[in-house]
Amino acid sequence: MRLNYPTNIRIINVPCTGRVDILHLLKAIEDGADGVYVVGCLEGDCHYLTGNLKARKRVNYVKKLLEEMGIEPGRVEIYNLSAAQGPRFAEIAREFTARIKELGPTPVRAGGKAKEKAA
Amino acid sequence: MAAKSGNSKVGSVMVVGAGIAGIQASLDLAESGFYVHLVDASPSIGGLMPQLDKTFPTNDCSMCIVSPKLVDAGRHLNINIISNTEVDFVEGEVGNFTAHLVNHPRFIDPVKCTGCGVCKQHCPVTAVNEFNEGLDRRAATYIKYPQAVPLAYAIDRETCIGCGLCEKLCLAKAVVYAEEERRSTLEVGAIILAPGNEVFDPTAFDTYSYAHHPNVVTSLEFERILSASGPYQGHLMRPYDREEPKSVAWLQCVGSRDINHCDNGYCSAVCCMYAIKEAVIAKEHSHEPLDTAIFFMDMRTYGKDFEKYYERAREEHGVRFIRSRVHTVDPVEEGRLKIIYTDEEGKSLEEEFDMVVLSSGFQPSKRTVELAERLGIELNEHNFAETSSFEPVKTSREGIFVCGAFRDPKDIPISVMEASAAAAAAAAPLVESRFTLTKTKELPAERLVAGEEPRVGVFVCNCGINIGGYADVPAVRDYARNLPNVVHVEDNLFTCSQDTQEKIREVIKEKDINRVVVASCSPRTHEPMFQETIREAGLNKYLFEMANIRDQDTWVHQNDPQGATQKAKDLVRSAVAKAALLDPLEQTVLGLNKVALVVGGGVAGMVAALSLADQGFPVHLVEKTGELGGNALKLRKTWKGEDIGSYVKDLVARVQSHEHITLHTNTQVVANTGFVGNFDTILEKVDDPEQKTTVQHGVSIVATGGKESRPTEYLYGEDDRVLTALELDSRLKEDGNGFKNVNRAVFIQCVGSREPERPYCSKICCTHSIESALQLKELNPDMNVYILYRDIRTYGFREELYKKARAKGIIFIRYSLERKPQVSNGSGSLQVQVYDPILGRDLVIPADALVLASAVLPNEAKEVVRALKVNQNAEGFFLEAHMKLRPVDFGSDGLFLCGLAHYPKSIDEAIAQAQAAAARAATVLAKDVITLGAVKAVVEPDKCAVCLTCVRTCPFGVPYIGEDGYAVIDPAGCHGCGACVAECPGKAISLQHFTDKQLIAKTEALLLKEIGEAAAGK
Amino acid sequence: MVVAERKPIEEILDMIKEFDKVLLTGCKGCVTVCNAGGEKEVGILASALKIARKKEGREIEIDEITLERQCDPEYIDQLEDPISKNNYDAVLSMACSVGPQYIAKRFDTVLVYPMLNTSFIGGSLEHGVWAEFCQACGSCAIHNFGGLCPIARCAKSLMNGPCGGSSGGKCEISPETDCVWHLIYERMSRLGQLDKLGNVVMFKDWTTSRDGGPRKIVREDLKQ
Repeated sequence: MRLNYPTNIRIINVPCTGRVDILHLLKAIEDGADGVYVVGCLEGDCHYLTGNLKARKRVNYVKKLLEEMGIEPGRVEIYNLSAAQGPRFAEIAREFTARIKELGPTPVRAGGKAKEKAA
Repeated sequence: MAAKSGNSKVGSVMVVGAGIAGIQASLDLAESGFYVHLVDASPSIGGLMPQLDKTFPTNDCSMCIVSPKLVDAGRHLNINIISNTEVDFVEGEVGNFTAHLVNHPRFIDPVKCTGCGVCKQHCPVTAVNEFNEGLDRRAATYIKYPQAVPLAYAIDRETCIGCGLCEKLCLAKAVVYAEEERRSTLEVGAIILAPGNEVFDPTAFDTYSYAHHPNVVTSLEFERILSASGPYQGHLMRPYDREEPKSVAWLQCVGSRDINHCDNGYCSAVCCMYAIKEAVIAKEHSHEPLDTAIFFMDMRTYGKDFEKYYERAREEHGVRFIRSRVHTVDPVEEGRLKIIYTDEEGKSLEEEFDMVVLSSGFQPSKRTVELAERLGIELNEHNFAETSSFEPVKTSREGIFVCGAFRDPKDIPISVMEASAAAAAAAAPLVESRFTLTKTKELPAERLVAGEEPRVGVFVCNCGINIGGYADVPAVRDYARNLPNVVHVEDNLFTCSQDTQEKIREVIKEKDINRVVVASCSPRTHEPMFQETIREAGLNKYLFEMANIRDQDTWVHQNDPQGATQKAKDLVRSAVAKAALLDPLEQTVLGLNKVALVVGGGVAGMVAALSLADQGFPVHLVEKTGELGGNALKLRKTWKGEDIGSYVKDLVARVQSHEHITLHTNTQVVANTGFVGNFDTILEKVDDPEQKTTVQHGVSIVATGGKESRPTEYLYGEDDRVLTALELDSRLKEDGNGFKNVNRAVFIQCVGSREPERPYCSKICCTHSIESALQLKELNPDMNVYILYRDIRTYGFREELYKKARAKGIIFIRYSLERKPQVSNGSGSLQVQVYDPILGRDLVIPADALVLASAVLPNEAKEVVRALKVNQNAEGFFLEAHMKLRPVDFGSDGLFLCGLAHYPKSIDEAIAQAQAAAARAATVLAKDVITLGAVKAVVEPDKCAVCLTCVRTCPFGVPYIGEDGYAVIDPAGCHGCGACVAECPGKAISLQHFTDKQLIAKTEALLLKEIGEAAAGK
Repeated sequence: MVVAERKPIEEILDMIKEFDKVLLTGCKGCVTVCNAGGEKEVGILASALKIARKKEGREIEIDEITLERQCDPEYIDQLEDPISKNNYDAVLSMACSVGPQYIAKRFDTVLVYPMLNTSFIGGSLEHGVWAEFCQACGSCAIHNFGGLCPIARCAKSLMNGPCGGSSGGKCEISPETDCVWHLIYERMSRLGQLDKLGNVVMFKDWTTSRDGGPRKIVREDLKQ
């Protein structure tokens, strides 16, 4: 469909969102991603039955963890859509990018920079 | 292909029509040892399904579920897709047909075309877009939809002005303006016709304003309006002014059950359900509350889970259902439409709507009818293929089979089921030629790369100008050169072209490359191809990684070349990082036991057993009782009048004498272990649990059947004159003359069905009662026969029977669940009291006989459920793997189902389903080995804390704690989803090819941007 | 098993705020099974702490190791190598509180911090849910109570029937908590042992419990 969305989105493919580990999401944040989101099948439509439901719980766990550390939980998200919803995919990319722009750059990188400047 | 030798039969099959039925038949045949030529007049396969938005009753996205099948068919080594082609005529006989084909020009060579779409973008001509039912326009150079298979463009020369622009722009040199119509022939052993139907064109209904009002659309047009890939991107809009409608009406039976405007007296069988689905989905799409109303005669929601869908639409979604006949749709101001209709009481009413959808029926196209005539197969009075109930997929010409909507109008799952049945039927006469024409790949030995340092080769594709036109490909290529472990980089015009493939194979050898990264289009379409290429160069196919720099980069960032280039670099860096960590993986190959177990000795079980036994596979047929035949023993004849008794007798005799069938009567299944290909099942004598046998087999077919329920109302069991439908059948079978003195007979429908405690339609009872009523009428033409019903569900051609019954004077009175009939026998005679909605008053009918159409129940089959670990729905019917596209498969591999155990159905459908189960089973049994995918969860015993997490989280119940004290995941059962991997608290499980290390390396590399740039000296 | 849960991140961050390099140790025993301190949780905590510290602009280096068990000295010995080779500011333990104590005992001069709160002795009710079943009183008598422990599972540890707070089978402290005495009654009635409930259970000798001071078990036959 070639629907435009911002270039800042990078995709890592997994066989099922059920494969996505809490650690994978944290690693992305730790490595300096401004945000990370999981895109899975519509709830009830998981090819592996419940993978997307498990992923949602893990995303919620990470949100809570980030909140505890004073990082906006909105930097992590899960979306559900079907393979036929190309426009929705682009919309999510724009939506999430807008959300992250609002939140600003990740404090994880900003913190590092602050230190550099101080030093 | 090997030349035909002597009298032997040709081991290939031609499938005509590549809709879902044709595709399924092709896949089943190709998977069971036959070479398939799949012929379709269209430039791409898929038929109707890609045009649908959602499918009932699961609301699955149609494109999502069909596209994997398209890809499977497109990629299959033993399916030859012949697009743009029609069959002219066929000579010869079963085993040795010569099919004469007409190959229409496509004007673009599908072998050279890479599907890049540059031609379409620059084509100056626009034409009506048939895929969107004419609601928008497309270029003259086009592809039907982005997921099309083959993924190659075509030129519509009707509208093409011959400007030559596409030919100039096509870097793959695929455009061939001069292409002409060709003729060709195919040698095949059997033929399957799956041409489908066309949607009835309601232009002739001038009273419905379709031809001259844009807001009156057909149901298929409405599907496109709802579809995310449709003309309005899934926004619910009416064509007149692109405003969101606030009210939409559906008119049922347009071009069906109608002999006034058209000759289609039959019911199209699917329109009630699709109208409900469209109403529900439209409500979901609408921003404002949307009023939806369905104007109908009888609501025919007779399939599995359909009645519940109907209930939910009415109760939860508030779809209005108006029992009526519409006579006029009149345009009023502002694009609105006034519907004038007559309700059940005969009152004329009117109501206005923003939009009207005509629920168009289906009919064989003129082209299909002409094809049938050329092939010399018999058609019925409605121009559908004529078949017998006992051989439902066999046409009148030996060796030519039929499936799908061309046999009778039907929904997707039944089409798919029939397609598999046709595959089984087509395979039977060709068994001796199995695997004589199929191709296998000859591959070199795999190079051992363990212990070698990673040496990564990176191939960056320009994809014509699809990538190179937006991102700076040479810059990406040069950037890749400096990445760790990279020993070779190059960029190609088309990395997927034949010559580049050859180059890749050479470079791999020349530079000792042991990991390959291709940066190009999408793994969805091209990963398997590149994996094949590196495998041909001696590398394990899992040593491949793809960077998606087209679909996920240049195609979506066309307005930001710099951003696209940077992203391409990041994606390549990330792919290289994972590539370095890739391990060669071994696909487990297991032997298999080419034996089938069939549970249940009714018609379905026997047909499945015979179908497999006739193909040479040994079968164990297990029947709980002492007698074969099941419910069919009690039935008289089919609705078409065919004698069931003699059919069953013949079937039993064939089963009993078949050399490949081992019969186990008075026997039940008590335990089962193993996986597809290698099961062990323990059988036990019902009356002697000590007597046990273990059978080893590769597949199981469950056909445990159903039974008639015992009514608990209408004086059943209290008065001898009250019978169930089967009891009436038995009496008629014994001695019909007893009914000659009966003057008044009453049938009550839906006894125990469509009730809150059993919320499904038993599907067969309307037809059965009408057939019995006609039989009574024949015995005593003066008999007054009444049928008290809720909706008459004589779907398909059964509608003819309904028409005949009315013509014979059988009286139909509708009742509602709220006002069920009352039966009393106070004064000695039976009195049936019922409220007649047409007369608007209660009637009292004295009856000499009362027949109750009692519900069809599944047999309990508790042992089977426990032993095979198969699932049932709330009503006790078995649950198939996928309601639409895997109707006879269970969720677990190697298990199949058929017959009443799946859902109530007529005998012809049960037979087709049994043949389908056999075809699916044959796809397993025909092979010598089972090759398992390598993406599986693997346990590291040392790290396992036997905490049970995997056992509890696996959605398929595969892991268990083994005798050695750690979790065991059998690769034959593992689906490779990775759910247990992500949850294991000891990190003892890893998912091959998607290990933590690989995924984290990918993430790290992606986010290393600044460091990467710093390293590159920026 | 011993059931534990991770301390709040905030508390942990406060504990380690002075450190720049630490060793985070997990345990493959009970805390792996209860998803509190196995290799996976070690990875998650390490990543979370690194994120938090990056955010503060003071990055922390965290090495991860998960031991077979932290309640046996031989396994603790495996820390010798990393601790001697690295100049850790502290060692963080994700075992039950036995672990940090063993580490502290073994490495005299090393600062040790517990990452978990050791909660109770219990079992899993379902995946992801754990409950307390034992209080380690040292003299088990659950056969008198239909096999259910009123000491661990009654909020008041009552030994002779429920208190007045039992309502509809639930304990007054929370509608989520079963009244164990209700369960005991039901089970004993199913066992036909209701008459046994008539016996008065005398007050318990708590000397076998914590009241007798820290406990020790010595098996002379096994002792080397």
